[in-house]
Amino acid sequence: MIRFLEISNHTLFWYYLASNLAYLAMLIIALRTSAQHQHRLESHRLSWFKDAPMTPPITIIAPAHNEEASIRVAIRNLLELDYPHLEIIVVNDGSEDRTLEELREEFVLRRVRAVYVPVTKSAPVRGLYRSDVDSRLVVIDKKAAGSKADAVNAGLNAATSPYVCIVDADSVLERDALLRIMVPILEDPKRVVAVGGIVRVLNGSEVQGGQLRRVRLPRKSIEAIQVIEYLRAFLIGREAWAQGNMLMIISGAFGLFRTDLVRAVGGYRSNSIGEDLDLVARLHRHLREKKADYEIRFVPDPMCWTEVPSDLRSLGRQRARWQKGLLDVLWPNRDMLFRPRYGRIGCFALPYLWLFELFAPIMETLGIATIILAAFLGVLSKEFFLQFLIFGYAFATVISIGSVLQEEITYKRYNDWKDVVRLVSYCFFEHFPYRQMHMIWRLQGLWQYLRGDHVWKPLKRKGLAAARAH
Amino acid sequence: MGSIFKKLWTLGPAAFVFKAIIAAIVADGLLLAFIFVRRTYRRRFFARRDARVFELRQQWDALITGKIPYERWRKKTFDRRIVETMALDAFEAAGPEESARLLKFMRTSGLIEKRIFEAQHLKGWRRMRALVALGRTRAPEGVHALAEALRDRNLEIRLAALRGLGRTACPQAAEEILSWVGEAGLTVPALPLQSALIQCCGERPQLLLPYVKQAEGPLREVLGRVLGEVATPALGLELVQFVGDQREELRAAAARAMSQAGAGLAFDALSELAQDTTWFVRLRAIIGMGQLADPRAIPTLLKGLTDSNRLVRLRAAEALVQFRAVMVPIFQQVIQLRDRYGLHAFLTAIENADLRGKLEAQLQNHTGVEEEEKAVLQKVLQTGALPMKDRLSAEEVHDTAGLRP
Repeated sequence: MIRFLEISNHTLFWYYLASNLAYLAMLIIALRTSAQHQHRLESHRLSWFKDAPMTPPITIIAPAHNEEASIRVAIRNLLELDYPHLEIIVVNDGSEDRTLEELREEFVLRRVRAVYVPVTKSAPVRGLYRSDVDSRLVVIDKKAAGSKADAVNAGLNAATSPYVCIVDADSVLERDALLRIMVPILEDPKRVVAVGGIVRVLNGSEVQGGQLRRVRLPRKSIEAIQVIEYLRAFLIGREAWAQGNMLMIISGAFGLFRTDLVRAVGGYRSNSIGEDLDLVARLHRHLREKKADYEIRFVPDPMCWTEVPSDLRSLGRQRARWQKGLLDVLWPNRDMLFRPRYGRIGCFALPYLWLFELFAPIMETLGIATIILAAFLGVLSKEFFLQFLIFGYAFATVISIGSVLQEEITYKRYNDWKDVVRLVSYCFFEHFPYRQMHMIWRLQGLWQYLRGDHVWKPLKRKGLAAARAH
Repeated sequence: MGSIFKKLWTLGPAAFVFKAIIAAIVADGLLLAFIFVRRTYRRRFFARRDARVFELRQQWDALITGKIPYERWRKKTFDRRIVETMALDAFEAAGPEESARLLKFMRTSGLIEKRIFEAQHLKGWRRMRALVALGRTRAPEGVHALAEALRDRNLEIRLAALRGLGRTACPQAAEEILSWVGEAGLTVPALPLQSALIQCCGERPQLLLPYVKQAEGPLREVLGRVLGEVATPALGLELVQFVGDQREELRAAAARAMSQAGAGLAFDALSELAQDTTWFVRLRAIIGMGQLADPRAIPTLLKGLTDSNRLVRLRAAEALVQFRAVMVPIFQQVIQLRDRYGLHAFLTAIENADLRGKLEAQLQNHTGVEEEEKAVLQKVLQTGALPMKDRLSAEEVHDTAGLRP
């Protein structure tokens, strides 16, 4: 038993060290990249791209399910986006409320036979509508299939632009979001096949008429901690992975793809749990198998603001779903692991996801169990345990503060001093008990997946209409 | 000497962790200190800057007319940057008269001269900043400095120079870009190059012709595409030679350009290109035919409705609905094609152009169609489905239509 504990201790130590070093490396890469990005921003003006004669058209696909409270504001926000050639497809995914009626009243919809070629799998379409107020707006009314992926596929079948931008109907996009996300494509349209945009936390901010008026840190701790998580995930994780062309996730709330490629891989997998990760994984597979010279890029400029869960129950569900989604993608793609054919995706990105994302809650649980067992057997070195705990705490705090620093030196959206002080203080407080709860939710997700529970449970949201009242 | 891992291993986790704790705590402290110091500095800097911007804005007219001597602000970097930013921002939003006034100010105050010097002598990001500023001025005297930067080793610098040249939108800039691509080939991504050339070649598209003829490979395609965008009727004869080009991109460019060449010359060439084996060449030809608005194009456009590519079908339909005086006969012919994809595309175009009511009215009043057939046409218009009868004639129509979806 003692021998087992020794081996276990050493394994966990090295696992933990490797995980932290990986994050530290990502922080350094991200800081460097952000500095370069800031300089690059000075080298072009967005209005130049807007005026450029070759700016390609974009179709925005916004799936909406029971969004009656916020759909008018959300679509008006999309129509006001600053981009020269735009088509907006709203997919009413079998809403049981007045979503379609709200759209009909606000945008004077008339039934049309807009082009709909069912290239990707999706539930039957009940009708297609075009707005008389703004002809760029097309509404697809379809039967519900219980997944966002299915709704996006319907939009994909009707899209007529070479690029599609997938957004959440309840997210708020900044006016120049499309111009910003298109920059990598405009620079190198042959190689760049998809671009991920950053998603930031909307809770607490002031929204008026679908537009973000003032960015504030949410008041509730549970929401504020998610701000740090998002900063860490996007400004460090994705920024760094994208540098090596190994970006594996493009958020479903805001991402841009080449339409023909998404169609070529069959669109979103209707029954997938983590549809965003799944699509990017399949794109990588498809392009690697074709030996294509391609890039999937990430743009860190603040562009998309989304509401995050504000209660523990919803947050727990969301995190469990994310973990399920991760396993749901990694397992079918296990054949890509360490195969030279899949290059850095198979050799670095996927192994990292397996080791430090999927197994993380298991390893953490194992660590806690080992400590308890060692203490029980009287072989726990209290001194070492305490040191290890302090190290873990201090190191994790470095990464979190690093992400706040990233925000500070680049985009600086939290202008209020109080917000920054609170943000920094949460970097110290998030480790207990939030981290442990997070571990349990992730374990729950894994357990649910292994049990075959793939049901998508809706999260409780206030919606854009409520955000106006802030 | 052992590896770092070996050292760590022999050091033992306990000793390592102790040092790591100290390192992490120090890092935490440094990061926090950096955030707060930077914030404080920036707050003071921007407060000072805002106050100065306010002062300078109040004296703006005196500044740009030279009533306030330029020396008073030009030698202070802080002030010079503010004035330049204000001038450039104003310049981008100004009309022709105001632009001329601002450009004169930037010239006489030496702002442009300074940026030209920086663009020629600085390196890295500072050079890039100077290039962007020069591009924003659109001053022809900046063209030479921008063109020099096209030869820089750094791609970002080359792109900044290219965009800057594009902004000037003058033939001199086009000549510089073309002579550079002639020497160096395609060393920047195609899209920014195309955009810059389109902006600069608008006045004199003939500048492109010798380069298109000489260039090879992807560069030839890029230049061909630009030519397609900027071609004018005067270039008609020159463009015909590209109709039979081996490169599909160039044929597509020729198709695009031919629509500008006048119906007399373009019609035959576009008819030929509409039968091309490559879909986007057919697409360009169909769009071009639509732009000609020549009734002779109707049979080709009807054939385009049965194309295997849906974009071609859509554009053919969009072109057909422009012939508003003969909507009923065209609708009859669309039905006779007995191609449900084609019919779908046509009805979509009718609905998108909000012409359904008009077509219905024309059908009602049309004297050349029997009542029975009118009813069939009305039904097709309402249901979007092809009638079940007339199979024999449909087959005949398909024989002439050629491609099936």
